[in-house]
Amino acid sequence: MPELKHGFKIDTAKCDGRMHCMRTCPTHAIRVKNGKAHLIPELCIDCGSCLGVCPSKAISATTISLAELDRFKFKVAVASPALYTQFGLNDTPAHVGRALLDLGFDAVWEYAADIELVDRAITDCVKKWPGPFPLISDSCPVIIRLIQVAYPSMIENIIPIEVPREIAGREVKRRFSQELGLRPEEIAAIYITPCQAKSISILQPAEESKSYLDGAVGISEIYNDVLYRLRKDTRKLKSDTQEGLMDSGELFHWGNPEGEFPNLSREHYLPLTGLTDIIKVFNDIERGRLTNIEFLECHACRGGCNGGNLTVENLYVARSKDLRLKAKMPQPPPEFENEVARRYASEDFSLRGPVKPRSMAKDVVDLRERVMRRKRAEEILRGLPLLNCGLCGAPSCKDHADDVASARTEISDCVFLSKARIDQLRKVYKKGPRASRG
Amino acid sequence: MGGELLRENFQLQGRNFDKAGEISSEIKVILKELGIAAACLRRAVIVAFEAEMNVVMYADRGTVTLVLTDKAINLEVKDEGPGIPDIDLAMQEGYSTASDEMREMGFGFGMGLSNMKKNSDEFCIESEVGKGTSVFARILLDSHA
Repeated sequence: MPELKHGFKIDTAKCDGRMHCMRTCPTHAIRVKNGKAHLIPELCIDCGSCLGVCPSKAISATTISLAELDRFKFKVAVASPALYTQFGLNDTPAHVGRALLDLGFDAVWEYAADIELVDRAITDCVKKWPGPFPLISDSCPVIIRLIQVAYPSMIENIIPIEVPREIAGREVKRRFSQELGLRPEEIAAIYITPCQAKSISILQPAEESKSYLDGAVGISEIYNDVLYRLRKDTRKLKSDTQEGLMDSGELFHWGNPEGEFPNLSREHYLPLTGLTDIIKVFNDIERGRLTNIEFLECHACRGGCNGGNLTVENLYVARSKDLRLKAKMPQPPPEFENEVARRYASEDFSLRGPVKPRSMAKDVVDLRERVMRRKRAEEILRGLPLLNCGLCGAPSCKDHADDVASARTEISDCVFLSKARIDQLRKVYKKGPRASRG
Repeated sequence: MGGELLRENFQLQGRNFDKAGEISSEIKVILKELGIAAACLRRAVIVAFEAEMNVVMYADRGTVTLVLTDKAINLEVKDEGPGIPDIDLAMQEGYSTASDEMREMGFGFGMGLSNMKKNSDEFCIESEVGKGTSVFARILLDSHA
């Protein structure tokens, strides 16, 4: 397997080793040794929980900046519906679209069509699916990675339908290379993303295929530039000449990146947001329950993509904007309906590659050795205080026991077992008075 | 069937619905930590869960024993309960003696025993009315990789 890439990086120079990230990580993928945090790449599911809690601002998302797009001849923005909920109540999607053009994009893609297409593909798939149920949505990359890492037996429940942003990327390349006589690689399809997880899913899709998109720019990255343009007199923007592209944001089923599935029956369709709740439901599914549910739409961020960690607006304010946009949504024009019908008949929406369970480092040893390690870990755990203080550098005593049993660390890292460890920690964490403390 | 690698015993409490599923969850965690292949894990957890539910629904108490060998996951479930008068009938899909109350709680659709059998490579059940029931299920490790 190629080296796993992740949607953020830890800046070791900035890291003060204060363990907020380690304690918040839902898959226990972070260790803090010698005062510095590091990642166990196989366990990280790119949820981004660590990003927001770092008091030293040492963890940052690896999205791309607008400047990096200059190598392309034609740049197309595929904006997540979440983008349009970030601004004032009177800022219409058309205004936001204009601002994107003024920012340097050559076109703003009518992404609502791709979402509508995937909506139909999912509804069809659910109706024809022989089992196992429930099917689980794949548009949130964190959910796919969570299943790969922690629920390998549920891989078959992932809906085998490509995500809307990839369908959009494919069509962007096809359409504009045809219209403009450019090669597909001269055209940039750039996702405006509410989270770093989608950026990593573009860099390294979980199904091990290549993304149609060329990168993702975080909403927070362009927020100020867009806001500035919204507050200027918009009529004077040079992009006003491109009226045909203006209304690309009007037709979303707001908030839900995969639409609202009007054709799935209410009692068999369950939308879920927030990792904690999703993990609870996944535990039930793994025990063979919830088989009467046909489709679970899961988003790792609380409140869905409007609550993504690269959004700027408070989730609840964004949601109220979302409701306003939904209420004002115009009836789709016939051209839109025709285009959707035409594309639905001619395009393939199936997921390109199978998603496989992520191979863990422990797979390299045989079952007998794994059982031995487990027994060793249990033995070691009995000697630990079970306080989960984290001073050993692992998030819980159990993780420390597992690390020791697999020879990844020394048992003496536990302060209860070794006085020297306290002296060592004192040295690592003894610093002069600091300008700011979180 | 290969050397025994691991043996774990679990106690089950009858009619304790809010805790129902905890033992199969524990078994799941153990097997998952040991890196058991996804398909086997799924089958073993379904069998463990159905067994646990049967004990919780009908019996006073019971035990689950998980025995892992190089080749298979074995689950032995024994309970002290009413027993099953007609095993062939009980094994049929949809046959259930669950009370309305149990059904309202979402249990007892008569799929338990047949589901356990479907998800095992070897399955046997013995029961004595008035004493209890014991179930043995084996899931081979390499058959569904």
